[in-house]
Amino acid sequence: MGRWRWRYWPLKAKLLFPTLFTSTLGIVLVCASLIVVENENYREQLESELQVIAGILAEQSAAALLFEDHEQLSNIISSLRKIETIKQACVFNASGVLMSALYSSDDTSCTNMKAQPELGFVGDYYRLSQPVTLYDDTVGLIYLISHLEVLKAHIRTFIFLALGIGVLIQLILVFVAFKLQRVVSHPILELSGAAERISLAHDYTIRAPVYGNDELGRLGTTFNDMIGTIEQQNRRILESRDGLERIVEHRTSQLSLANKELEAFSYSVSHDLRQPLRAIEGFGRALEEDCERLLDETGKDHLRRIRAASVRMGGLIDGLLVLSRVSRQPMESKRLNLSEMLQDIAEELIDLSKPLPTEVHIQPDIWVVGDGRMLRIAFQNLLENAWKYSAKEQVRLIEVSATSGADYITIAIQDNGVGFDMRYIDKLFVAFNRLHTPSEFGGTGIGLATVNRVILRHHGKISASSEVGEGARFCVSLPVGD
Amino acid sequence: MDEYSILVVDDNPDDQVLTVRALKNASKNSPVIVLEDGQEALDFLFGGENKGSRSNLDSLGVILLDVKLPRINGLEVLKHIRSSPLTNWMPVIMISSSDEPSELVEAYRLGANSYITKAIDYLEFMDQMTLLARYWLTVNKVPESGTVREL
Repeated sequence: MGRWRWRYWPLKAKLLFPTLFTSTLGIVLVCASLIVVENENYREQLESELQVIAGILAEQSAAALLFEDHEQLSNIISSLRKIETIKQACVFNASGVLMSALYSSDDTSCTNMKAQPELGFVGDYYRLSQPVTLYDDTVGLIYLISHLEVLKAHIRTFIFLALGIGVLIQLILVFVAFKLQRVVSHPILELSGAAERISLAHDYTIRAPVYGNDELGRLGTTFNDMIGTIEQQNRRILESRDGLERIVEHRTSQLSLANKELEAFSYSVSHDLRQPLRAIEGFGRALEEDCERLLDETGKDHLRRIRAASVRMGGLIDGLLVLSRVSRQPMESKRLNLSEMLQDIAEELIDLSKPLPTEVHIQPDIWVVGDGRMLRIAFQNLLENAWKYSAKEQVRLIEVSATSGADYITIAIQDNGVGFDMRYIDKLFVAFNRLHTPSEFGGTGIGLATVNRVILRHHGKISASSEVGEGARFCVSLPVGD
Repeated sequence: MDEYSILVVDDNPDDQVLTVRALKNASKNSPVIVLEDGQEALDFLFGGENKGSRSNLDSLGVILLDVKLPRINGLEVLKHIRSSPLTNWMPVIMISSSDEPSELVEAYRLGANSYITKAIDYLEFMDQMTLLARYWLTVNKVPESGTVREL
């Protein structure tokens, strides 16, 4: 049904239909009014003709009526036969007696007619009464009845004629309107066709043909100008995209080259730097065992220091490798239960550590999104730190809690250890920077740098706050994810 | 029968000495054969120009294979060992200086029985070797000499 609505009509129909509708309406109205006017005119003409006839008849028949000359009256009335339209004529004398009649089969019809005073156009007839006067005396009355066949025939002919002319004009109008609408609709259809082709094929080299310099012509020109602009912009976008792609490709290859080099580097670090260390450590040990008797206490102490240094350097290399690995490893994001992971780490630490009363409170069901292995490295470091720096307290207290925000979840790790001086906070997360001496607490100075790297790669934030002797508090904020 | 021998393939002379020392400490009676590179190892196992392979294979209990070897590296040697019906049953332990995860994964993918990162701390390293020798020479059973070929 909706398809028949005006807005679904094609443009041609929209242009053609109103024109034809208006012209048809006009022609019909003109024809109708012509017919009405013609009808009126003809009636008036008929009426006046009849009146003239009646007047002449009255004058001619006045004397005959006065003298009651029937023969004369009949002659006069009979002359009416020549007039086609007269259906009936009745002549009465002054006292209302029917004196003569025409076409009347009996007297009663004339008598009836006299009783009906209705005159003018009645039904299919026109009735007229004409008093007959002689020297201002009424001597009789003439009734004339005319049938309207002639009038009707005339009007009918007129209607046919008018309709014929109307149809002819309408046909001419249809032809002209059709030609005219083509003049208007053709450029629009061409324009819309061009627009459709462009939108379908995304081919901005297509142009719409322009006809003339009227509004439609200007529309076509403007449209072409717009498409030209789009084409240019498109080309520019494509060019700059290609340029960007080339740059990205170049950078990516550079980056992957750098990554490969880094990988090779860290592989040789892990392989080749460890080996001599192992030799130093191993032969130190062998020396200690095999030549025990040749060495005095000072010699043994020197050996121990050499071996300890090798082990420490091994730890540094390991730490650096982990740091480089968390920086370049591909990340995979998963939703994971951090509380379980922390509990795991804490249990391992409890197993390893010296017997010290330890209380670890980990808020259950902390869920985060991130790379499990990397987060494990980060939180292992944080918990180990908390563990290490609270080793000299009476009771070790570690508390992990989380607060959820709209975009971030913040995990706080609080210990009751020695804490640190807030003046040096800017060195806290930088590799090889330590806020305690190795004799106080062991460590490589790489742990928190690694933690920082992991959290940064998760687009998170890490902060720390402390007072000397009051424990430390590390806050890790991780994006909640989708 | 005699103790199974242990084949150590390692190019570094320091490591050779230290490994042999640790193994001797762990299992005094097991003969330790030391080879320098991958090609030597393949010659030893599959018979080069001058070495008969059968007797070598029959007495072998476990192979300690360094990953990083000159010419033919440890992982390639492992691939050869696993692709030959003569040796594909042989326990092979990859020992490496590194703990590079990709290397570890590759070693197991190629069929290593175990992967050890050599500890820098020598005491720890000796513990590792003791555990290895005890497991692969005592706890674990390998097919009797000759049975693999007969079956």
